[in-house]
This record gives sequence, structure tokens and C-alpha cells, in this order.
Amino acid sequence: MKVLTLSKKNATPFFEALKSFGKTYGPVEKGEKAYSFQPVESFSQLALDYKRTILPLKKFFYKPCQPVFHFNKDSGYQPAEEDLEEKIVLFGVHPCDINALNILDLVNSGPYVDNYYFVKRQNNLIIGISCMPDELCFCRSMSTDFAETGFDLFLSDIGDSYVVRVGTGIGDDMVNAVPDLFSPIDEESSRAYKDSSNERSAMFQRYIELSDLPEIMDLEFHSELWEKLGERCLACGSCSMICPTCNCYNIIDKLNLDQKTGERIRQWDSCLFKDFAEVSGGHNFRSKRASRVQQRYLHKQQGFVEQYGRPSCVGCGRCTMVCPAKIDIVEILHTIRGERNHRRRKSDRRR
Amino acid sequence: MAKPKVGIYGLTSCAGDQLVLVNCEDELLDIVGALDLKSFVMGQSINDECELDIALVEGVVANQHDKETLEDIRSRSALLIALGTCAVWGGVPASKNEVSRAEFQKAVYGTETTGHEELITPLPLSHFVPVDFRISGCPIEKEELVGSIASLLHGDIPVLTNIPVCTECKMAENICQMVDLNNICLGPVTLAGCQARCPGHNRPCVGCRGPIEEANFASEYTLLLEKGFTSSEVINRMRIFAYPCEGLQAQVEKIENE
Repeated sequence: MKVLTLSKKNATPFFEALKSFGKTYGPVEKGEKAYSFQPVESFSQLALDYKRTILPLKKFFYKPCQPVFHFNKDSGYQPAEEDLEEKIVLFGVHPCDINALNILDLVNSGPYVDNYYFVKRQNNLIIGISCMPDELCFCRSMSTDFAETGFDLFLSDIGDSYVVRVGTGIGDDMVNAVPDLFSPIDEESSRAYKDSSNERSAMFQRYIELSDLPEIMDLEFHSELWEKLGERCLACGSCSMICPTCNCYNIIDKLNLDQKTGERIRQWDSCLFKDFAEVSGGHNFRSKRASRVQQRYLHKQQGFVEQYGRPSCVGCGRCTMVCPAKIDIVEILHTIRGERNHRRRKSDRRR
Repeated sequence: MAKPKVGIYGLTSCAGDQLVLVNCEDELLDIVGALDLKSFVMGQSINDECELDIALVEGVVANQHDKETLEDIRSRSALLIALGTCAVWGGVPASKNEVSRAEFQKAVYGTETTGHEELITPLPLSHFVPVDFRISGCPIEKEELVGSIASLLHGDIPVLTNIPVCTECKMAENICQMVDLNNICLGPVTLAGCQARCPGHNRPCVGCRGPIEEANFASEYTLLLEKGFTSSEVINRMRIFAYPCEGLQAQVEKIENE
């Protein structure tokens, strides 16, 4: 992989050059310590020291609520193609979120390819950025703290400059658009990179053990833990909405008053909702809240492993951050493994 | 197919849900064109209290006259739809149902009986007659009303949203009123459909659209107490729109027994 350096002095002209590749989005401050990926006009608008955005990147490829097609009794169906062709550049994406998109690519390319998703993915460029973990991050345990693929360029902060990894041909085009801004790697930048990498390794506060976890979850299928969680869980759906890999959706037909036209929409859904597993005739496969909470963890950490060889969780910490009932995935997994003396998060530290 | 015969009524209420229909300015001509509007006192001068295909009823039953009106509407309507949080849950009129009506009359008029009609402890329509369908909200959302009319015209049961406010709030990427700002926010126990309008304007959810199915009042209550709110602060917020709700009543009883 081609590796270069970009001095921070050159970040602004580099950012300006990216505008010819598409509409640029990046992390901006939304409230006190809350961040969101929004359209960005200048490099100074970016809050590159952000920890995590409220919504992950899935919102660009699979909107909370989007039409799939429009229908008309006389003329038939017309696919909804709004915004499909828009070229976008996502600037400042963390490794966990890049890995989450790699996971969504796997899911959406299965036996039923989701073309809406992939058309948007193909029109999207990603510039990653390095980050330092906070007290909620456990991406190292999930092997998602480093992005090997899934970016066009990846910038690692080494103080006065970035080490730039070139991940794709288009990433190379971006560099070649403004070649004078980049320098070759030298001994000093290599040493700074390694120092930063070591410093980062020492900062992780949360770990979970993945080895044989699916088996333990099988053994603990009837654990009373699930009942307790069912009592606490509000089934508010927040964790599913902000999860970078949750991708379930509901399909709803909306008819207009003219009785002739309407649209079919798809909307983010959650396995925590009462009617999620309800089928025609009224039978509900998971009528109890406890069984729905259990389903969420089983699918992330066990079912997905059986199907794809790894958990779908990327350790971003968002679900722990947003849960009003303070349900914490790391604590659950420690409890289910029967581990004692694991590092607990300090109760009121968030983000 | 003949246009369905429709009546729109208000019992004890602020008439805000009926007003939503009048406020459907862009769709109003399509709506009145598609329906045979037999009775709508707010919107037309000549009304015919005949047999109906669909009756939309706003408000609570709060006195004997309301009860008789509702029973009459039910007896001549194929479908009866409860319109708004009052009709579905009891709403604001039912928020102090543990206090007797006589006590209220005495406080307001200085006498326990005013000689006017007999008062009834306010309760939602379903307490008195069978209700076929519910459109909740204070007031109802225009999109849900128009969508429901479109579905009914097509012969379908309307499909309304069944997700909590938190879900729509996260979709909108709002700052969390409960977790980030430590407010009493009823988003986790409240039916969405409003696109989390209040948190979107930096105000916590007050629960105006009524509880979500299986709302976890017990957990919400415990979490808010952990944040430092008092029991009465939390219950007084929860009671405003849906005090008669079974889940909330169970929680109130649990607190009283402790």
C-alpha cells in the first residue's frame, strides 16, 4: 500500500481539492460533545477530534425512511431514484465505522443484493481518520480498531502531519490531483506513527473476550440475565437506530387520497419492537420483551458469527452511550461469561 | 362505489383534532370530494344524523350527555374511530381522575351540585362502546388522518406508526433529552408519529401522543428517580395525557403500596 505524509498546513488546500470528487460531508459539532456527519464547506468546520457521531454512516446508504418505488394504477411502478447518483465524499471516518460499512457490504451482497445500497456505495468516497479511544470504545476487542480495507485514503494523525495510506485507485487520483501537498515517508514520521500507535494501544479501557462466545451464549440461552434485561429495557429502539450495522427495515405502502397513486417506503426497524416478529394471523415469535433483548445480542454476537465468521458488532460504544436504561453490551458479555473483576465503566462517564 | 357516509363529532374536548381536518388545506377538497360528509358541526351548517359508514369521534365522555351522544353515534355507525389522545386514552380531562367530580365542582363553583348535567369521571371512548380504530395525538397528525382516510376509502385497515418517540428522535439525530440533558423525557414510553417534534426543538417529550404498546413505565420511573427527580415529579408528568392507561395505573398502585 502506498504511504505518504500530508503536513497539517496543507490540509486546507487538500480539502478544497476534494470538492471536485463530490459533495463533502464530515463530523461537525451538533451540541455539547455531540457530533453528526453533515455537509461541510471548509476544513475548519470539521470537528476531527470527535469520538463518535449520533448516527453512523449507514444513514448515507440506507436512509431512516426512504421511498423504494412510486406506484400508479394506470402507469404501473416507477423506482425511486432520488439522490442515487449524487457523488459524496465522507471525510474523517473512524476505523470502526469503516469496518461497519464493510460488514453492511457483506450483508447487502448476499443472495438478495440491495441495489439501492450499492448504487450509493459506489458513488461514495471515504477518507478515514485515526482516533484515540475513550472509556466506551472496545473496537480493539472486535478487531475493528484498524481499517485494512474500505477507504480511499486514511489519515493517521502524528502531530504536525498525517500519515496517509492510499487504499484505492481513486484515492491515488485524489493525491495526484494535488501531488505537491504530499511528501514521502521519512524516518521521523515513521517513528511518530509508531509512537502514536503504541500510545493508542495503551489507552483502550474496555475489552471483551470473543473466543468461544457463541458457544457460551448457547449455554446461557435460558439465563435469568435476559429476564432482568427485559425488565429494564424500554424497547425504545435507540440502540438499533444508532448501531452502525443494524440494518433491519420495515416496508410500508402509503396510498394517496386519489386511490390511484402512492409509494412504497422502507423505514429503519428494530427487533426490540413488539410487532417485529409478529406474523400474519397474529402469532408473535418474540412476544416478550426479554426474548427480544436476547435476540438482539444473540444475533450480533452469535447468529452473525455462524453466518459470516465474525460478530456484527464493531465496538463503537454508541449503544452504551445512548441507552436511557444504561444497558451496556460489554457488561452483559462479561456477566454472561461469568467473569469477575473485569473493568467496569465509571457509572456517569459518557462519551 | 358510493362515497362512504361519514360523521365527525366532538365530545368533551378542545376540538383540536377536528380542527386538524379543517387545517388540511391542500387536501381539503380531495377529502370532502371523496366522502359524503353527513355531520360535521365544526365545518358545515346543515347536518343529517343518519346511519353512517364511518364516525370519527374526538374527546372524552365526561357527562351523561356525552355518554348518550356516543351511544347514539355507535348505534348508527359501521366503524367508530377514536380521534385524538382524549378519545383514545382519556387525555388531559382524565389527568386527575382520582379526585371526585363533586370536589372539582365545589372548588370551581362553590357548591357540589350546579344543577347542570350529571358529571362522569372522564374516560376514553372504549370504556363505554366498542371502538374499531384509534388515531392518537394531541392533536392528531395531519398525515395520519389523511393516510387513514385514504386507506379506509380503499377498504384497508389503516396502518399507523407503532414505534416510540426515541426511534424517530434518533433518526433525526437530536441531542438526547434524557441521557445527555438529564430531563424528564417521556420519549421511551410514547407513541411516535410526530417526528420527535419537541426534542427537535430542544424540549423533552411530554407524552402527548399517548403510550406506546407495552410502555415500560416501571423502568422509565426508576431511571428518572435515579436522575434525582421525585416520585410526584415523574408521575405528574406521566399522568397528563394517559392517566387511565392500565400500565401507568399499575405503576401508580405499585408506588402507593410501597
